[in-house]
Amino acid sequence: MLYNTKRLQLILFMFLNLGLLSSCSKVLDQQPQNEVGDGAAIVNKKGALAAVAGMYNELQNGDYYGRNFQIISDVSADQAQSIGTWDFYREMDTYQVSLGNQENGFFYARAYRAINLANHIIEKVPGITDATDAEKNKMTGNAYFIRALAYFDLLRVYGGVPGKYGTMGLPIVTTPFKGVDASTMVARSTLAEGYAQVEADLLKAETSLLVSADRTTASKSAARALLSRLYLYTGNNAKVLQYSNLVITDANYTLLPNFLEIFNGKLTTESILELNFNSTDQSGMRNWYVPTSKGGRGDLCAHTSFYQTATSNPNDIRGTLFAYEPTAKIYYPTKYIKAGNIDNVHILRMAEMYLNRAEAKANTDDLTGALTDLNLVRRRAGIADTAAVTKATVLGAIWRERNLEFAFEGHRFFDLVRTGQALIALVNVERKNGTPVTLDVAGKQVFPIPSFEVDANNKIVQNEAYK
Amino acid sequence: MRCFIVLLTLLCISAKTIAQDRAISGRVTSADGGLPLNGVSISVKGKAIATTNATGSFKFNIPAGADSIRFDYVGYQSLSIKAVPAADLDLVLQSLPNVMSEVVVTGYGQQSRKLVTSAITTVKAADIANVPVSSSDQLLQGRAAGVQVNSNSGTPGGGVFVRIRGTASINASSDPLYVIDGVPVQSGNLSALGLGGGVTSPMADINPADIESMDILKDASATAIYGARAANGVVLITTKRGTAGKAKINLGMYYGTQDLNKYPAVTNGSTFETLMNESAVNNGKTAPYANPAAAINTNWGDLIFQKGATRNIDIGISGGSDKVKYMVSANTFLQEGVVKKSDFNRTTARVNLEFTPIKNLKMGTNILYSNNRRGRLRNDDNISGSLGSVFFYPSNIPVLNADGSYLKIPTFEHPLAALYETKIGMRTNRFLGSVFAEYEFIRGLKLRSSFSLDYSNIEENVYDNSLTNAGSAVNGNAQASSTNNNNWIQENVLTYNFGIGKHSVTALVGTTIQESKTNLITAIGQQFPSDAFTQIISAAVQRSSSSATSWGIGSVFTRINYDYDRKYLFTLNVRRDGSSRFGQANQYGTFPSMGFGWLLTEEKFMENLKAISMLKLRGSYGITGNQSGIRDFQSLGLWGGAAYGDIPGITPTQPSNPQLKWETTKQTDLGVDVGLFNNRLNFTVNYYNKRTEDLLLDVSIPRSTGFNVLTQNYGIIQNKGVEFSVSGDILRPAKADGLKWNASLNISHNKNKIVKLAAPFNVYNRDLYRYQEGGEMFSFYLHPQTGVNPQTGAIVFEDVNGDGKFDVNNDRRIVGSANPDFTGGFTNNLSYKGFDLMVFFQFSYGNEQLNMNRFFLEHGGTRSTNYSLSQLDRWQKAGDITMIPKINAANYASNLRPSRFMEDGSYMRLKNISLGYNLPSSLLSKVKISSARFYISAQNILTFTKYTGMDPELTGTASNALTQGIEFFTMPQAKTFMAGFNVTF
Repeated sequence: MLYNTKRLQLILFMFLNLGLLSSCSKVLDQQPQNEVGDGAAIVNKKGALAAVAGMYNELQNGDYYGRNFQIISDVSADQAQSIGTWDFYREMDTYQVSLGNQENGFFYARAYRAINLANHIIEKVPGITDATDAEKNKMTGNAYFIRALAYFDLLRVYGGVPGKYGTMGLPIVTTPFKGVDASTMVARSTLAEGYAQVEADLLKAETSLLVSADRTTASKSAARALLSRLYLYTGNNAKVLQYSNLVITDANYTLLPNFLEIFNGKLTTESILELNFNSTDQSGMRNWYVPTSKGGRGDLCAHTSFYQTATSNPNDIRGTLFAYEPTAKIYYPTKYIKAGNIDNVHILRMAEMYLNRAEAKANTDDLTGALTDLNLVRRRAGIADTAAVTKATVLGAIWRERNLEFAFEGHRFFDLVRTGQALIALVNVERKNGTPVTLDVAGKQVFPIPSFEVDANNKIVQNEAYK
Repeated sequence: MRCFIVLLTLLCISAKTIAQDRAISGRVTSADGGLPLNGVSISVKGKAIATTNATGSFKFNIPAGADSIRFDYVGYQSLSIKAVPAADLDLVLQSLPNVMSEVVVTGYGQQSRKLVTSAITTVKAADIANVPVSSSDQLLQGRAAGVQVNSNSGTPGGGVFVRIRGTASINASSDPLYVIDGVPVQSGNLSALGLGGGVTSPMADINPADIESMDILKDASATAIYGARAANGVVLITTKRGTAGKAKINLGMYYGTQDLNKYPAVTNGSTFETLMNESAVNNGKTAPYANPAAAINTNWGDLIFQKGATRNIDIGISGGSDKVKYMVSANTFLQEGVVKKSDFNRTTARVNLEFTPIKNLKMGTNILYSNNRRGRLRNDDNISGSLGSVFFYPSNIPVLNADGSYLKIPTFEHPLAALYETKIGMRTNRFLGSVFAEYEFIRGLKLRSSFSLDYSNIEENVYDNSLTNAGSAVNGNAQASSTNNNNWIQENVLTYNFGIGKHSVTALVGTTIQESKTNLITAIGQQFPSDAFTQIISAAVQRSSSSATSWGIGSVFTRINYDYDRKYLFTLNVRRDGSSRFGQANQYGTFPSMGFGWLLTEEKFMENLKAISMLKLRGSYGITGNQSGIRDFQSLGLWGGAAYGDIPGITPTQPSNPQLKWETTKQTDLGVDVGLFNNRLNFTVNYYNKRTEDLLLDVSIPRSTGFNVLTQNYGIIQNKGVEFSVSGDILRPAKADGLKWNASLNISHNKNKIVKLAAPFNVYNRDLYRYQEGGEMFSFYLHPQTGVNPQTGAIVFEDVNGDGKFDVNNDRRIVGSANPDFTGGFTNNLSYKGFDLMVFFQFSYGNEQLNMNRFFLEHGGTRSTNYSLSQLDRWQKAGDITMIPKINAANYASNLRPSRFMEDGSYMRLKNISLGYNLPSSLLSKVKISSARFYISAQNILTFTKYTGMDPELTGTASNALTQGIEFFTMPQAKTFMAGFNVTF
């Protein structure tokens, strides 16, 4: 009996210890497998290169250049209208943007994600040991470029254009986030400080980056092209000329003779910076404009008035990039129409350099030079030279040309604000569902700071029209 | 810890009994649960000679001249045995049918309800038998005070919203812990597919017919034994086991049909055109439709709704001897949704086996194998689903184009394409098994060790062919995924039960280790050669991905139940947990609780109050924790993959917070249990105050950091409430087959309050919910609409900030919440001769429900989609009094969130009515059948509510835990009529 009991106890011990072999501490020591810790991220060249790609991935996101940023511009202008259920674009279309507008918030947060990642690269890349200085410069140059681009876009959406509208900038953060402390709550800079930050970063990017035929990431010419745009916004015509010239003379780029090929093809010589999408990394423009019957979401379409403008000259090749949807009786753009949603997104391309230069020339009374540049773009589109002669009509012709040339590419609203036309052009814009709409308050040339930012950071002052 | 157990084991030296002349010894236990009975009076010829102690043991010398010895115990049938000397007798007393003598399952043990100091509600098999729901947690609805259950959707096998004593967390989970036969199981959605707002319920893997009881642990005294996982309450599910005796074979079947309670209230073709014309004219445009009266009318609903079938077959065999007890069952269950192509098809098998190979050693196994298939739809918050399209598609267009192709409108998938050009399947294989051994060293000292595995494999496939929106741009779109969830649990529990005089003690110590690993492999294919090819292998574009995550928890725990003279009761629990989810600094947490009880009816001064047969006062206080619902590595700063085209990339995904720790809930509970008239009428009242501190809160941080939130321990939520339940035999027949009527009612009130928050934040599309200090969970944040100007038809809102004008940004506030003021259920069981009737009502009062279907469809012409019938009540001419404004662009502007779409969601529902007939045993015995019952029953056939949507219980955004009470193109619950039988051989 006693013997049996002991044997039983032995069996039980074994049973017990079987379970206890996997001891408690082992079970508590779990390691992430899908992700890596902060300490294992940018530690060498490979990690740094991955972080650079990561910045472009942020730009690719649907919150930003994947679709949202372009739509924010074009649906708020007279090019695109909202016809679906997605209230957030309808709010923009009808100049009733609420503080909680989701797409507005998505853009804001995504741009700052790109900035934070750029800040990590700027801080950490100089310390890595397995890359050459040239390699490091390329990486930090890309980071300065992305930081500049994101701040520039943020300023255009929430700050305004110096001298045209707005005085407030945005929180400027130039160090990576490491934890919440008093310094986390950053107040808005002035608009001038914001644009100065963009300029400083772009100049650093220009120095750090090399001339390159790679158009999927920033090059020296991409930095110059963005500088050309920046100076157009700040009214520095000499600098616009200087930087446009530098890009136009870079042999890597041409005003591609076949306009349609820019969008049918990929990474043509027209492109200075083009986000590369593919079947595993798809873009969203097509989905939002193409109707359900063609496999899109069809929440957006062209304003019928814009369709009429764009097709008023039957020779204009750009007018062919529309299609008609008979059930809803609307026109939608077909600029981004590749099956599989693999359309690339054009952030900077050559036509802009010519039109930027034309505008700077016109502003500095070189009307002949302006007309030469403008007509280059017109001829490529298959239409005759402009009849404009006076400074005012030439400028008007350049702006109209930008409207047609960059349709649905995210330029229109900001161009209207920049040129002081927003309150004139955005009047009684017809809509499919509802009454015509008007941008009636100057303050609506900028968007509201998203409510979450105002709730989380008490130093943030809301834009005037949304208080 | 390991040493501790070893030490305790070594201390267990078997005690040897010394036989004496005429001595008799043994132990008395209860038939239900085998608990030792303390204080059984032992008498010879009416003269008391001994009582049993806390372990139920007795030992005395048989008095001279005794023929028989009688054992008496309150609530149990008396037992007499022959007065002959014997040792180690095992005597079992059968309990009388009486609420208070029942045994409740507590974590790691069982206890007589009479001696429990905590708030535990039990739902028995009989209450939930033969109800055609797929998921066992749905069976709790209306059955238990303090438990709120919402069927978020009528989708077969869909997720269920269960809250025990309110919602206690914002960003961590507020779902209860489910423990099946002692094994904490995976109960959260495991589907890898995002098909809209809906989720699936792993609780549907369980066969409801296997369930013997569900015990809901509510207060800290009951739950703290589960420590860090107990803050949201615990549901202990006990499955049926065999009992000694001849093999019993049970066969049950039912068959029924499921149908819609309510069709979508949308306009027909001519009404649609009339309203569109009116909108155009009011907006200063020309009317688009010349002759609305001649419009065609398509009833889209007819194309997708169906009368679904539900059928169930259960077969089980149980029995055993004193050495072996077994229960083996199999189940097949089918439920079809009210929308075509949706169904849930389950097959399960179970073996519960227990045997005694050697004296004092019990071993056994509980095994469930479950295989189920779901036909799923894109429902809820989804523009690609058939149900949404049935609402959105205008009724004035034909179903097909002239060439036979689908006629599609922008944005929405065609209802038929969503059904017939898309295939969505989900198959679950689940194995839930445990083996255990229990050894009794000496009377009352037992060690139980168990090893359990809860394994799920889920295979999902989606295929959208080239005729669908998702597939047309990419020539067919397919996704296949395989999810493996692997949990193992090892537990050891040492229990010692002893008594000294009037003191009796049950003490236990234990350890548990659990590890959970989840792997997901996904493949996506696009560009198929034709629609005949559906497997990704034939796709031109193929993408794949894999991911893995894991967590572990290790704990030690102890509990002491003590009572003095069965009058004064005391319970102490302490559990210490370590979790892999938290950083080194705060990896461990300790969770204690205490409970007190006083059985007044055992006191002398109560003896004269004959009407009061049972009166117990209870109180408890304790601290429990919560760590579920957050990410597995929430405390770490992480970087994840972020490829740019073909170039590998990384980006920060989560900021670090090494200080992160458990959410803690401090709960006070006060309760009274009353039994009147020999326990014919029983009341229970509980008051509780649950305060959850150090919330695992996603604190919104400035987006200028590059992050949206930092998960911090910040904030306080309070849930205070009262629960009341009463049950009684209204009619108690003198004869067994006379008219019997038992009724029970439970009603609960819970008040939820967000006491502290870092900053207010808004949740969900359109900021429909707002979380702020002083507010409640699930509060709707809208523009309070006060009416419509009778002269102009313009919409009128409250001027919230009092600045004399309405503007969308500042005149918005919380206008109500989805939390009910009261929930409960009312059950009547009647029987007469062979007939039985059950009528069960379930209700919810004071909850608001946001009708998003109406929000989208009462669009005043700002959308091209169909109208809700409610649009017809619009303002048309001066003097009209209505809440629906004149239809023009301004009154239906895109940035308005008018409060009129938030409706009173209170309801009372005839949840279940069933009528059965038991064939007389005289007849059955001739054909060797021990019982046979035939029944008909109906579910959800009557709902009393003011809510105008499909179903006041729906939540179309269940995948977002911060939303509730929002109908969003969600499949409503069906009304079911069914018939069935149960036969026992």
